[in-house]
Amino acid sequence: MTATAARTGAARPRRGIGGPRMRRRLAPYLFVLPFVAVFLAFSVYPLYFTARLSFTDWRGTGAATWVGWDNYTYLLTNPSFWGSLGNSAVLWLLIVPVQMALGVLVAVLLNSAKLKLRGLYRVAFIVPFVTPLVAVAQIWVVLFDQRYGAVNALLGAFGAPEVGWLTTSAWAKPTLALLFLWKTTGFIVIILLSGLQSINGSIYEAADLDGASKFRQLWSITVPLLRRTIGFAVVLQTLAVFQMFAEPFVVTQGGPYNSTTTAGYYLYNHITRADLGTGAANSFLLVVLVMALSLLFVRLLRAKD
Amino acid sequence: MATTTERARPRIASHAFLMLLLVAFLAPVAWALVSAFKPANEIIRNPLSFDPTTFTLDNYIAMFQDVPIGQGFTNTAIVLLFKGAITMFFAPLAAFAFAKYQWAGKNLVFGAVLVTLMLPTIVLIIPLLLEMKELGWVNTYQALILPGAVDAFAIFWMRQVISAVPDELLDAARVDGCGEFAIFWRVIVPVIRPGLAGLAVLTVMNIYNDFVWPVVAANSERMSTLQVVLSTLAQNITGNRIGADYATVTGELLAASSVALVPLLVLFILLQRHFINGILAGSVKG
Amino acid sequence: MQRHLLRRRAVLASAGLAAAAPALAACGPDITAGDDSGESSVLKAPTADKPEGEITIWDRSGDLFEVFEGVIADFNAAYPGITVNHVAVDIDAKLQNTLITGTEVPDGVFLDDAKIGGFADYLWDLSEVLAPYSADIAPQKLEVNTIDGGVYGVPFDLDPGLLFYNATALEAAGIDAEAIATYDDLLQAARDYQAAVPGSGPIHLEQSAFLGQLQLEMYASQLGTSIADADGELRLDTPEFERILTFLDTVRQEGLGTRAEYLTPTDIAELENGNQVFYPWAIWFSFAPQQLLTETSGDWRAMELPAWDASGPRSGAMGGSSFVLPKQGANADLAWLFYEFLMFNEAGYTAVWGPNEVYPEGLTTSIPSYLPAADPSAPLFEPIAALGGQDLWAVATEAGAQIPGGAPTPAWWAGAVDYLGNDLQRMLDGDLTPQEVLAKSADDIQTNLVDRQ
Repeated sequence: MTATAARTGAARPRRGIGGPRMRRRLAPYLFVLPFVAVFLAFSVYPLYFTARLSFTDWRGTGAATWVGWDNYTYLLTNPSFWGSLGNSAVLWLLIVPVQMALGVLVAVLLNSAKLKLRGLYRVAFIVPFVTPLVAVAQIWVVLFDQRYGAVNALLGAFGAPEVGWLTTSAWAKPTLALLFLWKTTGFIVIILLSGLQSINGSIYEAADLDGASKFRQLWSITVPLLRRTIGFAVVLQTLAVFQMFAEPFVVTQGGPYNSTTTAGYYLYNHITRADLGTGAANSFLLVVLVMALSLLFVRLLRAKD
Repeated sequence: MATTTERARPRIASHAFLMLLLVAFLAPVAWALVSAFKPANEIIRNPLSFDPTTFTLDNYIAMFQDVPIGQGFTNTAIVLLFKGAITMFFAPLAAFAFAKYQWAGKNLVFGAVLVTLMLPTIVLIIPLLLEMKELGWVNTYQALILPGAVDAFAIFWMRQVISAVPDELLDAARVDGCGEFAIFWRVIVPVIRPGLAGLAVLTVMNIYNDFVWPVVAANSERMSTLQVVLSTLAQNITGNRIGADYATVTGELLAASSVALVPLLVLFILLQRHFINGILAGSVKG
Repeated sequence: MQRHLLRRRAVLASAGLAAAAPALAACGPDITAGDDSGESSVLKAPTADKPEGEITIWDRSGDLFEVFEGVIADFNAAYPGITVNHVAVDIDAKLQNTLITGTEVPDGVFLDDAKIGGFADYLWDLSEVLAPYSADIAPQKLEVNTIDGGVYGVPFDLDPGLLFYNATALEAAGIDAEAIATYDDLLQAARDYQAAVPGSGPIHLEQSAFLGQLQLEMYASQLGTSIADADGELRLDTPEFERILTFLDTVRQEGLGTRAEYLTPTDIAELENGNQVFYPWAIWFSFAPQQLLTETSGDWRAMELPAWDASGPRSGAMGGSSFVLPKQGANADLAWLFYEFLMFNEAGYTAVWGPNEVYPEGLTTSIPSYLPAADPSAPLFEPIAALGGQDLWAVATEAGAQIPGGAPTPAWWAGAVDYLGNDLQRMLDGDLTPQEVLAKSADDIQTNLVDRQ
């Protein structure tokens, strides 16, 4: 093997512009072609259509009238639009930091070589991820009922007051965030586990010898080494939170008082009212926002490198 | 070095913590599985009661009569097979191009991958629907299969995995006369097989639980996937409860959800070692 | 580091591509094509002696689906040539998309009255086929289906508002519920009950924004008004609405209400333990004592709503559904025959509301909107044991006959929940006064809904 490799190193440049080289140059284009085709057909083309639609007042039937920037000015001057972005931002704050802390902690525990029942834990944590969302919605309504739900019953046992989880605008967001955490943390744990796997165990042995506490090791060794994986998870979940639609759709329908009307759900409201032009304008604003956020995170990560 | 008690204490603490989480993660699902056997009204009236003597199959019977869940399974299986196969084959292939080749336009196309990752499904619903209409694809399998095939996240992830494959392996294969595709098929695929196993499980879960697009794209019963069947039941509950019979429907929904959940759960339990070890082993080192 | 930089540039490049798209020449899905506005959209009944063909009918899953399923055989006895393909569908999620794409459009669809206006552009105007029956249809029901002079739905049920009350609990507290004739009487009865049962909240206050708004419309319908007139002009900031909100606000201020979402566990428990004894709601609440309220089943009764003014109407409509026929459906005229049979033929409506396999006592959650079918002396469903053997049919049909007309439903009704429905809840939180609710909602609805039609 080593011999062959050495021979190639010498031989390749001399082969010049033969067939294999040409093939090698063409290959990547062929390899990405299926993706590009799907991208052009089912992302670019619809986006282009959305762009045109966003300048009309089309309602799904009849002729569309060009309304210029009307839909955009309506949205940008509408408190409900900004409110929906605010709701998504608050949900992000409630979800992402908690999920990362919890995820790292659980991943580190699961990564410990001596842990028993590891398989059981792994399966348990991924179960919510595979549960159909429409069923989860019903479960949430029952568990978080103000007076007779299991959650308040449990908290009541410790003397906590009754909380209107799904009926007050103060608590609806945390309740929805909890659902999101419940459903996706298992997946984040696995992503973080994959990052942990690539950390060389000998670092910890050295730290053990130096007498560093487990917590100290977690904070000073694990987290910095996991930075790239955590960053990846943060970007992934940021996208997910700002795209969030199905969760409020099945659990709260955006309420109470639009406190769970996320950016995605607000957009959907235009569609249900057949106000497709405004919906398209909203789509574009949302796409721009999500891209800007992603760029921001990429930039932040780069700054830390 | 340390005494056994010193070692045992943190281990007990971590088990206590993990057990607590385990209960929190499993309890809601357990509630749904158990409640599906309770009389429908009892689910609404006393959600937390537990009385095995009253257990009944009524919810299951009513659900099987009411909604075409068998059809839903068939359609989901077909979509899963094709969409899954397309992603499993073409996503790693595209990832290979990103990870191991230098070519003009690479950044632009990779930007396209990232853009796809950033596009909320809901944004494209209406235009995609109109596109399906133009293509004459409404109520067809291709409408359920092609949009979103060659999943962007899969490309993104596989690119990381393939990047870790040492270049020497590829060079060696070239010397042995392998064509570029053969390198992918005979060198890359075997090396990243654990990662592919992880991707397979993830892909199955994503397609199986996909909800927003199928509900919109399949408006005929013939084309309803499992999740569409569930949403047909859920409308009386998740929407505005003006139907008088939502207790009955809640029972049916929980029965249908159980039926939908169990195959995936079994699959996952059987394959969890491959899935998790796969994702972990994703970062191959030489 | 290098890679991050490259990735960012790649994103920018693609974003630039997308941003340039609107500048490209017009191609892509055609959204400027006119509809068939030249053609008439007035449906005509089929003329064939023995009509033949297949119709696709969409219904919500659940009990009504089963009931309609059972009627198909009766229909086929009358029309053997028509095959009915009856499907349970998530109508809210699918109807609009199906209409936009125009593919496999059903011939008939079961739809909430509040949503019909939003779809009128896609639907057959049924005024001609309904003409022989319209004099015999409840006026409120025809109005909710009428948009710009066209009638866009075959009226299905009438849902009169009734006052459900726990007779046993009230009797134990020494209160004569049957003497309640006005909303002032109701408030007094609630005060008396609370004096007898300290800590109770006798009157139900709805906590769901959607249902709260629907109930508000029931009170308004009783006063012969609604949030918009027949021309779609808003008429919210009126003395009628202020009166209703003031009543609800009084219940709140005096602590006479139980605030809960319709039949959630909290609501059920408060109904069962005797804290909540008055439930002003549409007839479909009757399902609760029959199936959900096992402990107090038999204690409940229904009566007409109290009147706003002595001798005023004793009921208003709350909710209800109709059947719509999309223009793109292949056999809408045959679907009309199906609905004509269901609603206006004795064999049809008897099969829908009468005892059947699903409901041994009959369908007791609504009454027909076709007046010959809703004869107080000719009940289609039987007395209800859960209501102490009460003849709900007589109570409901007599109440239904009193529902005033003049309450059309605007196309944007459901969208108004974000404003009016929410503001009503804020009032019940104690954060807004009735006047503030009306001023604020009227303003928001005008800007966000009426002006954007």
